[in-house]
Amino acid sequence: MTALLEVEHVSKRFGGLRAVNDVSFALTEGEVLFIVGPNGAGKTTLFNLITGFLPPDEGTIRFAGKSLAGSPPHVAARLGIGRTFQIVKPLRNLTVLENVMLGAFLRTRHTHEAATRAREVLAFLQMEAVADLPAHGLPLATLKRLEIARALATRPKLILLDEVVAGLPTSEALALAALLLRLPEWGVSAVAGVEHVMQVVMKVAQRVVVLDRGALIAEGIPSDVVRRPAVIEAYLGAKYKQVTG
Amino acid sequence: MTRQRTLIAVAAFALCMLVPLFVHQDYQLNVLFRLFLFAALSLAWNLVGGYAGQLSLGQAAFFGCGAYGLVLFNEKLGVPIPIAFALGVVIAVGAAFLIGRVAFRLRGPYFALSTIAFAEVLRISAKNLTSITGGDVGVQAPALFGSDPSRWFYWSAVLLTAAAFAITVWIARSRFGYWLQAIREDEDTALACGIDAAGTKLRALMISAALSAIGGGLYASLFYFIVPDQVLGLDISNQIAIAGMLGGAGTLTGPIVGAVLLESANELFKNLFHEAHLLIYGVLIVLVVLFLPEGIVGTLGRLWRRRTQRA
Repeated sequence: MTALLEVEHVSKRFGGLRAVNDVSFALTEGEVLFIVGPNGAGKTTLFNLITGFLPPDEGTIRFAGKSLAGSPPHVAARLGIGRTFQIVKPLRNLTVLENVMLGAFLRTRHTHEAATRAREVLAFLQMEAVADLPAHGLPLATLKRLEIARALATRPKLILLDEVVAGLPTSEALALAALLLRLPEWGVSAVAGVEHVMQVVMKVAQRVVVLDRGALIAEGIPSDVVRRPAVIEAYLGAKYKQVTG
Repeated sequence: MTRQRTLIAVAAFALCMLVPLFVHQDYQLNVLFRLFLFAALSLAWNLVGGYAGQLSLGQAAFFGCGAYGLVLFNEKLGVPIPIAFALGVVIAVGAAFLIGRVAFRLRGPYFALSTIAFAEVLRISAKNLTSITGGDVGVQAPALFGSDPSRWFYWSAVLLTAAAFAITVWIARSRFGYWLQAIREDEDTALACGIDAAGTKLRALMISAALSAIGGGLYASLFYFIVPDQVLGLDISNQIAIAGMLGGAGTLTGPIVGAVLLESANELFKNLFHEAHLLIYGVLIVLVVLFLPEGIVGTLGRLWRRRTQRA
């Protein structure tokens, strides 16, 4: 088991706010890790640091042994880190197929190859029916899947999923979770997710990392971590500790 | 493009090339030259302003580099005309590289403003470097064509338009074209797809600059005498961008349609209303921005798709 992603003592401040405070964790190949925590805990900021959308103030981030700190987002994507956006960012005036082709263009310069690859990914995510529709005006559930499809089309080794099931009906969320378990079939060797929907986290995650106010407060297997007092306190407040404990 | 559309494009090109067989007056040919020149310039603008969605309002910078490059290298340094012409294009591409490196750090209106600023810096420099450019007095341009120049200028402009159109078609169908559109739609998503957004925009601007500079060289030679306000002025930049937006930014044929309409209207109104044509021009811009934000071709295309989808 080699570490695919190593995050070491990473910090990021926005003015007086410590959005991410001395966070370290590693992700090995074949692993599915979820980052959980209350709103504003720094989960999305952590993803932005890993993918180069933000430079860290301190600490190092290594992917497959290479240092990433300070390299721009497109370099992280080329090295094999795919990502989705929590607030969906479709290419609105392009079709669903073209959106996914733009991911596929990272690995081929030929339009027909990109289209073939995009259709395969869309079939996997059960989105063939909307392939030729423009991305604007599609429902949120479809746009969330589109985020995954586009990221998957870049042939990532590591895929970062930022709240891809948030806001979806439970049945839809669980159906998507089932598909996430099949990502290794697409050459994805590790998954890191940010998620609030604990039903999905418990089903998909092998390990969870808990962030609270920028700091890592717990790490371990999901069923174990959710029982820890510090985690319950972060989510529900101190007075619920005895009730659930 | 389907085979049918390719045939239409080739037939249209052939027809345009045959026009001088029927139109003999220099004045009329010169009006048609302007029409095609602006079609080509708007197609060049469209790569950056349309496909990449980066509103450039300083295309005169590249046009002027082409014009002054030809004139100064030939008249002042005695470089042969074809080489001077090519050097003008090279200088425009170099200017695009420098301008893009700085301006593409800015997004949205700040980018548009900085392109205006760069073009203005060049214009004001040219006005004041009187020992080189002749300032407002102007400088004489070399004649590109010896005999029957009006016809040859017309043919050159048609060829330039055809070349700009062919390049647009090729780009629109290639990965590079998809990259430009991704950057226009959402730059963060483009980055997450591994697209070097800054480098891609820069390449588009350099291609746009090369085409614009060829137009500038032709224009300078046709008018025989150039001054900074004429070839580096805001008027040129605005006309290029407005023609593109009127016809439809980010569409294949929009800039041609826009340039033909705008230049025809200019020509008609100039004789009818004298200086008042600028007023009509302004009203037209407001109407397009308010009611046709996708331009003529963009709006028609959307209506057409809606009809065929329903059928």
